[in-house]
Amino acid sequence: MSGHFRRRGAALELHLDAFEVQLLRDLQAMVVEALDHADIADPALHRLFPTAVADDAMADADLRAMVFDSLMEGRRAGLDALVEILDRGDRGSKGVRVVLHDDEPALVLGVLNDVRLALGARIGVEQLERDALDDVDEARVQGLAIIDHLAWIQEQLIAEVDPASTVHYEETRDLE
Amino acid sequence: MHPRAATVTAHRATVAVSCSVGVGLAQTRLAGPAEAPVHDVQTDDSVDLDRPWDVIVWDDPVNLMSYVIYVFRKVFGYPEPMARKLMLEVHQRGKALVASEPREQAEHYVEQLHGHGLQATMQRGS
Repeated sequence: MSGHFRRRGAALELHLDAFEVQLLRDLQAMVVEALDHADIADPALHRLFPTAVADDAMADADLRAMVFDSLMEGRRAGLDALVEILDRGDRGSKGVRVVLHDDEPALVLGVLNDVRLALGARIGVEQLERDALDDVDEARVQGLAIIDHLAWIQEQLIAEVDPASTVHYEETRDLE
Repeated sequence: MHPRAATVTAHRATVAVSCSVGVGLAQTRLAGPAEAPVHDVQTDDSVDLDRPWDVIVWDDPVNLMSYVIYVFRKVFGYPEPMARKLMLEVHQRGKALVASEPREQAEHYVEQLHGHGLQATMQRGS
């Protein structure tokens, strides 16, 4: 598939291959489970609810406790919406086609980001060197490939939701 | 920041339908930005309470450059050139000061940024 989105007037049509639908369902379930367990030793949970105040452990704990419920509620709402969107889509031989309305494109953008962050935390993406993956185990490399694939979908969605935010990567290559 | 969208590492792995994404892998960092020191500091309440709090956004390898611009525009209402400049500062220097506000407003911004998945911390301005 060349593009995942098509403009339909004010609405946006999302096209996903069957494997992408399954991938999103699996990742959605993974993040829901992480939120349900709320295990402080889970790197995914830490990444989604990170340090809030630097240099002051007490203030950090206070602020994180204060915002935890609303952040949790927002994340769950997005994850629920994703499943609802996938469920209501038209299933064809190649995958799913579904029209996104109102704030749904922005919602999907946020959920895609959350599942990428959670997966990245689980595979320890901070410690991975992209040009030295030969000795990295297959599960982590595969996780990185999924993060990259969903990034591609995210980029297309940003171009639709907020074109001004688009980055032309050839312009930033010198900065790498 | 994530280098670019199309850097699919498919030369070694194809995107599989069912992969072992849930496996618990070695975890080396517990929370927050790696460079953000988290230790107890006795806060002197006699210091100027009106001093603004700095909101810092830290670089991370997953968030896309375009997504970070989008979040800065959405959360702060910054014009595109300013949002882009701040994004590049995060990308190149590892962090950027994105706002300096009274405590309550800074807390609100940190919450919004966390809601969008950015690693943001606040600290009393120097």
